[in-house]
Amino acid sequence: MEKLMEDLKSQIIEQLNLQEVKPEDIGNDEPLFKTGLGLDSIDALELIVLLQQHYNIRIANPEQGPEIFHSIRTMAAFITAQQKQQA
Amino acid sequence: MNIYINGTGCISPQETAQIGPLFSTLKEYDQVRLQAVDPDYKQWIDLKQIRRMSRVVKMGVGAANLSMEEAGIKMPDAIITGTAYGCLDDTGVFLNKMVSQEEQMLTPTAFIQSTHNTVGGQIALLLGCNAYNNTFVHRGFSFENSLLDATMILREGEAKTVLAGGLDEITHYSYQVLSRFGLYKKAPVKTMELLKSPDRGTIAGEGAAFFVLSPEKGTHTVAELAGVCTIYKPLWEGEVIGEIVKFLEAQDLTLEDIDLLVTGRNGDIAQDEIYEEVAAALFPDHPEACFKHLCGEYPTAMAFGAWMANRIIAEQDVPEAAMFYGQAPARIKNVLIYNHHQGTHHALILLKAC
Repeated sequence: MEKLMEDLKSQIIEQLNLQEVKPEDIGNDEPLFKTGLGLDSIDALELIVLLQQHYNIRIANPEQGPEIFHSIRTMAAFITAQQKQQA
Repeated sequence: MNIYINGTGCISPQETAQIGPLFSTLKEYDQVRLQAVDPDYKQWIDLKQIRRMSRVVKMGVGAANLSMEEAGIKMPDAIITGTAYGCLDDTGVFLNKMVSQEEQMLTPTAFIQSTHNTVGGQIALLLGCNAYNNTFVHRGFSFENSLLDATMILREGEAKTVLAGGLDEITHYSYQVLSRFGLYKKAPVKTMELLKSPDRGTIAGEGAAFFVLSPEKGTHTVAELAGVCTIYKPLWEGEVIGEIVKFLEAQDLTLEDIDLLVTGRNGDIAQDEIYEEVAAALFPDHPEACFKHLCGEYPTAMAFGAWMANRIIAEQDVPEAAMFYGQAPARIKNVLIYNHHQGTHHALILLKAC
């Protein structure tokens, strides 16, 4: 889980072109949207694509979005759960 | 109705975003492709927004902000941009992703940022401006048509202040493609020697220049935009010569009233021939300044030329780096800019000191 969270931070920085943000600047439980990193709706689409590209995970229910993308930890937990289901 | 230039802003391969005398810190290059000198864009654009902007968007937003700062306005009544290539870099990113990802899982940012009107849209978004917003994509007339639209809107009374500008970027791919067309020099050339080079081809350039136009003079106003004229594919130089005479007559001016001729010579012997012919026929003893050795060739380079002409009027002096022939008079009142792009798109702009 820790390794996955670190990978996610690097992938988000690259995908969203977060200039001047380093992985260590992003807290595991820090909100990704509004406060915290301050991501917006376009970033949400980028994150959906990131999950598909890097983890082959599609979000079936869009209403889950706010819960899944709340923080790095919630994203990692969702990925882990999906990977267990796929295994 | 007179239309005044109340503020200008320019980002180019020269240090044009800096305050100070024109070309006081001249950037000399020895290459075929000139890139714009980036100012610190964070002074105008939030970090969270800057990450999605390609260079041309940042150049446009920066130049627009510089012009509004000089004009002392916070919100224009209309935003009009002219660009031939648009946001070429992001178009390339988007198309490459389409190919590499087999049209699957395409991310939205590159697509959103790849349209020609992205710059006008971004300026409006940052200002919160819901007013008229238009982008002209007419190759070598893109900038001129943005000025024509601006003057029409002002004359119709639909707006009191218009932000109008021209911009284009050169990317790795576009440089390669345009090089194959033979547009550029085969070997590096010093920019200050470009206009005397004896062969074909020019140097590639890029930049953005914006103008705040209004029927009312502002605090920093030095010139009025007295006229804009475009001539598409003239059959021979006589047609251009005739159009220049008619253009000046329409402004109640004679050839003798022109204090300075600014031309778009670019160092390509074939393309510069018509400037020689026009100067010999109409302005044999007039001082002549040039600008494309300083900014490079691109379809909206006329915007740089107009920006430079406005600064020359402001300073009442032509920097040595821009002077091509003769000596500027002590009083520079009427400046005629004549430029053509690729021999097909010829344009005239007349600035009058006020």
